[in-house]
Amino acid sequence: MIDFLDVCERAETGPLMTEKDFELKVLIPGLRGVVSEYGIQYDSEKPVPADDELADRMYEASVDYLTRVGVYCQDTNRVIQFTEEEIRDAVESAPGRCFTGEGKDASVFRVRQPDDATPARCHVNWGTVHSSREMAVDIMSTNVSHPEAKAISISSVNKTVRGRQVTAGSPLEMYAGIRAVKVARDALRRAGRPGLPMMNLVPAAASAVTTIGASGPQFGARPTDGWIIGIISENKLDYGAMNKVAYLLNWGANIGAQGAPSLGGYSGGAPGTAVVNTAYFLLGLVGMQADYHLCFPIHFRHGCCSTRDVLWVVSTSSQAGSRNIPVPVIWLGYMAAGVNTKMYFYEAAAYLLAACTSGADAVKMPTPAKGVKVDASTPMETRFGIEMVKAASRLDRQEANELVLKLLEMYENRIPDAPEGDRYQDCYDAETAKPGEDYVRLYNDVKQELTDIGIPLG
Amino acid sequence: MKRDEIFKTLKNAIIEGDAAKAKQTAEAAVEAEMDPLEAVELGLAQGMEVVGDRFECGDAYLPELMMAGDAFKAAMEILRPELMRQKKETSVAGTVLLASVKGDLHSIGKNIVANVLETHGFKVIDAGVDNGALQIIEEARKANADAIGLSALMTTTMPAQKGVIDALVELNVRDQYQVIVGGGPVSQKWADEIGADGFGQDAVQAVELLKSLLKEQL
Repeated sequence: MIDFLDVCERAETGPLMTEKDFELKVLIPGLRGVVSEYGIQYDSEKPVPADDELADRMYEASVDYLTRVGVYCQDTNRVIQFTEEEIRDAVESAPGRCFTGEGKDASVFRVRQPDDATPARCHVNWGTVHSSREMAVDIMSTNVSHPEAKAISISSVNKTVRGRQVTAGSPLEMYAGIRAVKVARDALRRAGRPGLPMMNLVPAAASAVTTIGASGPQFGARPTDGWIIGIISENKLDYGAMNKVAYLLNWGANIGAQGAPSLGGYSGGAPGTAVVNTAYFLLGLVGMQADYHLCFPIHFRHGCCSTRDVLWVVSTSSQAGSRNIPVPVIWLGYMAAGVNTKMYFYEAAAYLLAACTSGADAVKMPTPAKGVKVDASTPMETRFGIEMVKAASRLDRQEANELVLKLLEMYENRIPDAPEGDRYQDCYDAETAKPGEDYVRLYNDVKQELTDIGIPLG
Repeated sequence: MKRDEIFKTLKNAIIEGDAAKAKQTAEAAVEAEMDPLEAVELGLAQGMEVVGDRFECGDAYLPELMMAGDAFKAAMEILRPELMRQKKETSVAGTVLLASVKGDLHSIGKNIVANVLETHGFKVIDAGVDNGALQIIEEARKANADAIGLSALMTTTMPAQKGVIDALVELNVRDQYQVIVGGGPVSQKWADEIGADGFGQDAVQAVELLKSLLKEQL
């Protein structure tokens, strides 16, 4: 079993090469090799395959891939390598659970299995930006008012500090990071859930110094919250990420490794992206001492997670991970369409069916409008997500596959020109924090449509 | 190897991303005293075009683009000295300096744009990630670039795109470069607000945009 100081040492002693050589001579041929040798093939008619043998083969391919490729340290230009034995040891030693939250909101974040009748853990809210503190508090406190909500991703508040635009790595980013944590804890108190874990600390912080600085307990963060540390796509780390790991290990706080392989990027098509996504669960354990994982395989051109091939990646890598790698994973999906559009709900239903029936341990309520529009989320999407999680727990992978195929017919060809949708203030009453009549009507219509095609909602 | 066979093999070496084959065939072309410019235009460039088209249709991804680019460079190492000796020049659609702006460590989108531009005959200088405004401008000057492409994937790094344009204005060199912007949260509205010359939703749009912006200039 290796520890994090071993990883730091390898970052200084591993094979020296340029980043380009790592990509062209190590990563791409290594991945192509395992995809071919393990016979990983994408089947567009089965976005949710019920195939345990494929899942286990995917796992073996991911172990082999990480052994062949390792992870590139951008600060030292060296490859941190792991042996197969070290990877399998890390899997064997993984606890399969993560302790989160405090007081009556304390909970154990556990792993699930494909076709599991226990609903996936509901992770509410989004790390996206809201234009005012009041709006962010209203939305966060409404989202956590559902008893099913077991964890939250906290919002970013405003893109400015005293009228100046917040820029990455600047002192203003530190102010904004601290503000986001304080506002969120206040929102949780207001909702009567002050102990709920914040699992995406610190949102919108590009620099390690902001993440570490804004994490001081005096601002409201606790070790039972969770910190997201991103693996740089693909198979790369830098000292910024490694500094966060070092800090959190010394504190004893929950470390969340984040992997977001880009379908169409270095990992190529769906088979390679699924292998890389599975390998990132392993990299989190062996290279980052992660307690949990957050992932969002994403389509390189459309910037969303609801395309047919990405759903296959979500399903197969979730099955591979949940059957073989005991680390709890939060699945995050970016939808192409925005708030108050039927298309958003079709995409979200497809994503949640694929993830939940494939053994996703936790799902974040799918993010509208690719997560890039300010104020583009409301509590209505949370309500829908929670209902869908329950519905999915009543289905198995085969049933989910049939439903996902029907849903894809309803939205797939509109992905390139998906409707951007409304902002919170366009479809909610900002005074009372209640949805407008139009949005309630659309919600009820969609729910009826989805029930009619066979999704067991309510 | 016959002349037509050499063109075909060069083209296929690019499509297959086979750098060794591209180099070996380029050597055969030089040995056969073929026109090096024809070897580029009727062999290598045609292969690049096929890979670019496949990417646009969704039949190829970043690895295929990168490997094609690598094979192209391997062949050019053999052909370039011949081109220089014979005082011949390959046509270039334009020189573009690409960079992820200050604070932004994301590179995949930028790298895809770089590779697609290369398959369409642009000369690309990739400044990498986390570049300050003056660093980008200096790189563009050194490369004698026609255009600067600025990538930002976070709302907190978008202002750095404006920072580069403001610095170009302040240094009185704004009119020397076409500036295009891109990245997840970036939009046409943002491009207009900060005074960019254009916005590319994806790599394919970026190519079309640069072709049209540089058409009059070159």
